[in-house]
Amino acid sequence: MKITQSIILFIFCSFILALSVRGLPGNPNSSDLNKQTWKENGPFELSPERGRFALLYSIVEDHSFQFSNEIGKFASPDVVVSRGKYASMFAPLVSFITIPGYVIGKFFGVSQVGAFAIVSLFAILNLLLLRAIAIRLGANPIASTLGAMIFLFATPAFSYAVNLYQHHISTFLILLSLYILIRFKNFWSLTLVFLLCAASIPLDYPNLIFMFPIGLFAVGRIITFEKIREKVVTTIRLPYFLTLSIMILPILFFLWFNQMSFGNPFQLSGTLPSAGHTFSASINNSQDLASKSRLIEDAAEPKKEKTALGFFQSRRILNGFYIHFISPDRGVIYYTPVILLGMLGAALAYRKRVKLFTLFLAIIGANVLLYSMWGDPWGGWAFGSRYLIPSYAILSIFIALLLTYWRKSIPFLIIFLILFGYSAAVNTLGAITTSAMPPQVEVLNLEKLSGMVQKYTYERNWDFLQNGSSKSFVYQTVAKKYFSATQYYEILAGLIILAGLSLTTFLWFSGRNNK
Amino acid sequence: MNLQFSVNTEVFQKVISFLKKKELTGVFIILSVISIVTFVIFYFNGLGLSYNDARSHLDIGRRIVEGLKPGLAQIGSVWLPLPHILMIPTVWNDFMWHSGLSGALISMISFVATALLIYLFLKELGVGVIGRLTGVLVFVANLNILYLQSTAMTELLLLATMTAGAYELLLWFKKDNVLNLVKSAFFVMLSSLVRYDGWFLFIFAVALISIEVFRKKGYKVTEGVIIIFSTLAGLGILLWFVWNQLIFKDALFFMFGPYSAHTQQEQLAIAGNLATKNNLLFSTKVYLYSIAYNCNTFISILGVIGAVVLWFDKKIKTKIKIAATVLLAPLIFNILSLYLGQSVLFIQGLSGNTWFNARYGIVMMPSIAIFIGYLIQKADKLKFVLIGLMLFVTFFSFANSDAVTIDDARVGSSQKNVTEVSGWLKNNALNKPGFILISAASHDAIIFSSGLPMSRFIHEGTGAYWQQATSYPSLWARWIIMRTYDNNDMTYKAVSKTPDLIRYNLVGKYPFADIYELKDEYLGTLITQPILGKQK
Repeated sequence: MKITQSIILFIFCSFILALSVRGLPGNPNSSDLNKQTWKENGPFELSPERGRFALLYSIVEDHSFQFSNEIGKFASPDVVVSRGKYASMFAPLVSFITIPGYVIGKFFGVSQVGAFAIVSLFAILNLLLLRAIAIRLGANPIASTLGAMIFLFATPAFSYAVNLYQHHISTFLILLSLYILIRFKNFWSLTLVFLLCAASIPLDYPNLIFMFPIGLFAVGRIITFEKIREKVVTTIRLPYFLTLSIMILPILFFLWFNQMSFGNPFQLSGTLPSAGHTFSASINNSQDLASKSRLIEDAAEPKKEKTALGFFQSRRILNGFYIHFISPDRGVIYYTPVILLGMLGAALAYRKRVKLFTLFLAIIGANVLLYSMWGDPWGGWAFGSRYLIPSYAILSIFIALLLTYWRKSIPFLIIFLILFGYSAAVNTLGAITTSAMPPQVEVLNLEKLSGMVQKYTYERNWDFLQNGSSKSFVYQTVAKKYFSATQYYEILAGLIILAGLSLTTFLWFSGRNNK
Repeated sequence: MNLQFSVNTEVFQKVISFLKKKELTGVFIILSVISIVTFVIFYFNGLGLSYNDARSHLDIGRRIVEGLKPGLAQIGSVWLPLPHILMIPTVWNDFMWHSGLSGALISMISFVATALLIYLFLKELGVGVIGRLTGVLVFVANLNILYLQSTAMTELLLLATMTAGAYELLLWFKKDNVLNLVKSAFFVMLSSLVRYDGWFLFIFAVALISIEVFRKKGYKVTEGVIIIFSTLAGLGILLWFVWNQLIFKDALFFMFGPYSAHTQQEQLAIAGNLATKNNLLFSTKVYLYSIAYNCNTFISILGVIGAVVLWFDKKIKTKIKIAATVLLAPLIFNILSLYLGQSVLFIQGLSGNTWFNARYGIVMMPSIAIFIGYLIQKADKLKFVLIGLMLFVTFFSFANSDAVTIDDARVGSSQKNVTEVSGWLKNNALNKPGFILISAASHDAIIFSSGLPMSRFIHEGTGAYWQQATSYPSLWARWIIMRTYDNNDMTYKAVSKTPDLIRYNLVGKYPFADIYELKDEYLGTLITQPILGKQK
């Protein structure tokens, strides 16, 4: 039964993601990539997607870790200069992981969609992992399915499941590690956890912080303390120390990549000078408002020596909390209020002494605090608070527990459905339109630059939709002939909300039958 | 193939009992080392004297023991007297004065004392050793606290006296021993002689004591207890009124005099720069921001959660909860004084693009540390996550030298870069005879930074010298330092009424003051020695 449910969930979610994944048909070359149809009007609307795709493209097509001039222009402004050559500012693993998707996609004439689909695949794996973890922690299977769906379709995680960002792959590493720690206690499971911990760094540098509590917990399985009668016994499982050695593999990969890209294995790309100014003329001649605005912001910032630690300032926490939770341009209460139920779920989990609760909390705490100290808590131009995607995942586990606990309470389920419906509607809108939402603080400059009113909430996505636009690959290639963009959105959002409603009804019935 | 070793629990118990015996000594030693090391760091990087107020405090202390008219009257009315009185034993020494150590020493002792009091307070609340040490750590691992304890500012002394008063009050609520009440009154009295926050603490403590005694023993006993407490706790306030009456012939001189905060705030209000006045919401917002920036947002939020946990903990007796309310006194006082226009606090981003008095939020630090210590006690298994997250944010605040007090002192409105004027004096006046006429109220930072002895300066507190020099400048002053055309500068106000200014050359014009030097032809009649003898 559980497997059947998982298969149905897998099929449904794959279907929704397939309808939402962004893209255009074709195998673009380096000069195509610099066209407006692929950049600001297409799937590579923002520089994080471009930077990662640029590296992928360079490796596959140019067999080089350094960018050609055309690819450097495509990836700008997130390009760094090292030894006179252009290189990616982003951690490299996403580009490597998505290579198979690119190659398969290229075979079918949709290389970009193939690369993006790999991220969607990780999103589905996350969904299945979330459901499995919630069930392991004692949640009802239907509630667990609902929790997993909340994460994927009712938070900004939806928008980042259909383009080329690192968030779903990072979240996958976290969730897989947690699942392994809950499920297994043997040598190989620890080996895998340490491998995932180390692999998270070349995926996205801040993962080091989120994976640290997991690594520490795993070390706790090697060294144990027990009180036996009048003695405290310390046991060190010596063979298990070997599991730590696996970490060397991703680290070696990372050092090798740095050596090949920057000529120094210990050079972090973020500390290298930006090449943004080199391409400033081409940016200024384009329609790319996000990059133009970025150039203005960069020019206004005082020039300081870049250090890895300097990106994070404790004084920014207050503003960071505001941006992540309350602000109209990114705040959780505007974009995904349903996830706030996860806080109630967390209180319940604490009271019920749910396994690994402290570890869950440590990851959420590290995630929220790190990105509140970050100089750009908005995540550049983005849809919702994208940095909190790992926290949304864990909070959705707590929501599954909460739904299990209160599944008989009709008032609670009604409130839940309202919040779920709203959140799913907002995030479906984000997924099939655009992630290019300016932060509120940039709007005045932007209005001067563009000479028109600039919106900074999901109203901007709504306007985009009303103009008949959607970046969904399926819509642009097939569905456009049959539906307007708004109708397409309504169908997608309707399907998700209907699935949520059905599952909630089943959950309520299951609660009643268990009286 | 496991490596296994065991330790008898007896060994642990012995270690624990040893630590328990020596806990306070151990904490004291560690804190003292931290205090000294931090002072040395800030001394060598030159930040220890960045605050304009720090230099003024040192000068006030110095004027009591050295100058043209030394004596207790130099305490003045601008600031409450205790910090300056405590400087007397050391400030006579040039190194102690100019290094700032004379004032910093008081802050350093207060720092250690406050941390120990946090430890003891938590112990009285039944908090275990991990919670207690966390409370101390939260207080100590705050860069703003470490900076202020290395300067001649008065915040740490205020924190020590207020926390001591609150601690003894807690003991009295708990044990009903009158000796604790008297001790509490004594420390509240001391705090009332440091900053006006102490005056509010006095009122707040009286209210709490009244509630508790009236609740249990009725009106008559309440009256007696309040008299016992107030007689000592209010003595400092009374003496301050008397002092002002005796020295300035007006008991309210400190409140409404020309150098009072009230007068300064009125000027700001007229200029439209006192947005907090009569705006309770904005006052609250500004002060909460100040707390968030001084104490760290995350740590402050944990403090609030700790306070809520404490007040809703059914195991804690009501009287202890009432006593713990005293920890909120600084919060209420600061919001009220902003609302009433009695104090000014600029937060960058909220009140324009500058900092001013941003440090005021730091007075909530001991309260937050205590609440967090309590939260850790109650957090069960979560305690290690909370401690880990606090260490995480603290690491970044140290790694990036993120301290709002240092910014306020270096680039905010609380700093005054007077090096040009003081440097000129050092280079041109040090080895030449003659007095310098200057207003200490406006330019204490210049007096301090020049490195010249106090006896070279004729200022408002030098009695007959000031009267003579402002009436006949060319007879008494070889140099005049003043803000030309600014009637708030007492020197300009007086000298501009005399015809003597034409006998001076303007030799320097700087952002904070101008320098006038007596023309050579008038040097013959210049008095260069203190000839007026001892003044009353």
